Amino acid sequence: MLLTLVIGALMLGSIYGLVGMGYGLIYKASGLMSLAQGDMLMIGAFLGLTFYKILGLPFIVSLLLVMVIMFALGMFIERVLVTSLLAKGAQTVYVILCTIAISMLLQNGAMFAWGSNVMQFPSIFGVSSVNILGYEILPERLLALGVGIVCMLALHFFMQKSKFGTSMRAAAQDEMAASTLGINVPRTKGAAWGIASMLAGSIGVVVGPIFGVYTAMGSLIGQKAFASAVVGGYGNMYGAIVGGIFFGFVETFVSAYVTSLYKDFISFAILIIVMIFMPTGLFKEQVME
Amino acid sequence: MQTLNTTPGGFLKKNRYTLIVLLILACVAAWMLQERYLSMILDYICIYTIAVTGLDILFGYTGQVSFGQAGFYAIGAYTSTLLSINLGIPPILSILLGAALALLFGILIAFPASRLVKHFLSLLTIAFGQMVYTYIVGAAWLTRGPSGITGIPKVSLFGYTFKGYQSYFWLVLVAVVLVLLMKRNIINSRVGRAFIAVRENPHAAAGMGINVAKYKIMAFGISAFLAGLAGAFYAHMVGFISPDTFTSTQSNMFMTMLLFGGIATISGSLIGAAIITVITELLQSFASAQTLVYAGFILVVLFFLPNGVVGMWDKARAMFLKKRLGKKEVAS
Repeated sequence: MLLTLVIGALMLGSIYGLVGMGYGLIYKASGLMSLAQGDMLMIGAFLGLTFYKILGLPFIVSLLLVMVIMFALGMFIERVLVTSLLAKGAQTVYVILCTIAISMLLQNGAMFAWGSNVMQFPSIFGVSSVNILGYEILPERLLALGVGIVCMLALHFFMQKSKFGTSMRAAAQDEMAASTLGINVPRTKGAAWGIASMLAGSIGVVVGPIFGVYTAMGSLIGQKAFASAVVGGYGNMYGAIVGGIFFGFVETFVSAYVTSLYKDFISFAILIIVMIFMPTGLFKEQVME
Repeated sequence: MQTLNTTPGGFLKKNRYTLIVLLILACVAAWMLQERYLSMILDYICIYTIAVTGLDILFGYTGQVSFGQAGFYAIGAYTSTLLSINLGIPPILSILLGAALALLFGILIAFPASRLVKHFLSLLTIAFGQMVYTYIVGAAWLTRGPSGITGIPKVSLFGYTFKGYQSYFWLVLVAVVLVLLMKRNIINSRVGRAFIAVRENPHAAAGMGINVAKYKIMAFGISAFLAGLAGAFYAHMVGFISPDTFTSTQSNMFMTMLLFGGIATISGSLIGAAIITVITELLQSFASAQTLVYAGFILVVLFFLPNGVVGMWDKARAMFLKKRLGKKEVAS
C-alpha cells in the first residue's frame, strides 16, 4: 500500500515538476509567465493519442513527433504572438492575458478537433501490472516517472553542458551582455518557450494512459505545476522539481489518509500560504518588487 | 478644464452627446423590457456591469490584476443564498451581507497581494478563485456541492416582491446607477487620485506620501465588494446557483468585458458588459464555442484595440474634430 502510494506520489511529482520547470524556464528566459502550459500538456496528450492509436505509429515515434510539434508550437507563441505584443509596448499583465486566451483557444480547439468526451489511451505495454516487491503497479505509472526523470536529466545536461544551453543561461542572466557577445537572445527566448511546451507535451503523452485524455485535463495539472514552481522558488528549475514532488506527496497522502474531496483545496491553500509567508520559495528566488 | 455650468442650456449643450446616448439607451431598454427573455439580458448586463466596475477600479485605476473575481462573485452569491434560505434573513439584507463577506475576503487576500508583483498577483488571485471553487464543490453539507441550490427567495422591498426579470431590472438598474456614481466620485476624489498614482508609479507615489499598501488593499476591497454584490444579485435573480457558474471562465469573462469596454473609464465597464453579454446570448446556439469567442475578444483587444471600445470611440471623435477644425482653418 505504502509503496504504491509513494510511486503514485513520485509520478505526480514528476508530472508537476516537469511542467513547473517549463514555467521556470520561461520566467528565467523572458521574465514572463505563460498560463497555457497545462493546455500544452493536454494538446500533447491528444496529439500522442492521434499518432499512437489512430495512425498506429510506434509509441516512441509518436512521443518524438509530439515533442517536435510542441516545440514548434511553443516557439511560435513566443516568436509571433508574445513578441509582437511586447513590441506594441504591452505590460506583462497583457502577456499573461494573451496566454490565457491561448489556453482557451487550445481547449476549445481540442474540443472541436477531438470531441468533448474522455478518450481512452490504449495501454502501451500490453501488461496490466508489474510486480514490484509483491505490489501490483501499473507500468504506465513507472513510464511517467521514467520519462519525467529522463527529461529532467536531459534538460539539466542540455542547460549546463551544451553550447546553446549555456547561451540560454547567459541570456537569462543579462540580455544586453549576452547579445554583445554574439548570442542570439530572441532565439534563446523562443527556444525556452519551445522547450517548456515540449516538456509539457511529452509528459502529456505519458499521462494519457493514466488519467485518460480530455480537454480539461491540463488546466488543473497546469495550476498545480505553477504551485510547485512557486513553492520551489519561481524561476528555479530544480526548485520546481522539489515543489512538484512535495505537491505529489501532499496530494497522494491527503487523498489516501485524510480526504480526497479537499485535496485540491489544500494544495491551493498551501500555495497561498507559501506566497504570503515565503514568496521566494525554498530556493530563495527573487520575486518581490 | 473646469467650466461653470450655471445655466441649464449650458449643461445641455455641453453634455448633449451623453444625453442623446442615454436617451437612445433608455428607448432600447424600454423596448427590451417588453419581453421576458430580453429583460433577462438587461438584468445580466446590469449585474455584470457591477462586477466589472469593481475590476476596473482594481485593474484599470490601481493597476492591480485579479483573475479570481469569480471567487468573490461566488462568495457573494452563496453567502446571500445561504443566509436567506437557512436563517430567513430578508434577501435585500442578505445581499448586502454577502457583499460584506466578499469585502472581508478581499481585504484578507489583499494584505499579502499588495506586496507581490504582477505575475505573482495573477497566480495568487487564480489560486484564490480555484480555492473558492473547490470549496463550494467539496463542502456539500453547506453548499450542496455540484448539484447546486434551488429555490432561492426573490428580493422584496417594502412589501413589493421583484418576481420577474422585468421588475428585477429596476432594482439592479438602481444598483448600477449607484455603483457608477460611486465610482465616479471615488475616481474624482483624493482616493481616486491616489489609486492612479499607485498605478503609474508606486515608488513615486510612496515618495509623495501616499500609503501604497493601504490604497492597494482599499482597491482590492472595493472590487471584492462589488463582485460579491453582483454575485448576490445574480443568485436572487436566477433562483438557482451551482459551482459551474463560478469557474475561472467567469473571471476571464469579467476581464474580457473590462478590456473590451475599455479600462479606466466610467462607461467602459457598462459598454463592455453590454456588448459581451449580447454577443454571448446571440451565440447561444454555438454554446460550445463560447470560450473561443472570449479568447477571440481578448486577442482582438490585445492586438488591435488596446483601449477598448471607449478608446476607439475617443480616437474616432478626436479624428472627426480634427477634420472639422482643419476645414475651418482652410475656410478662414
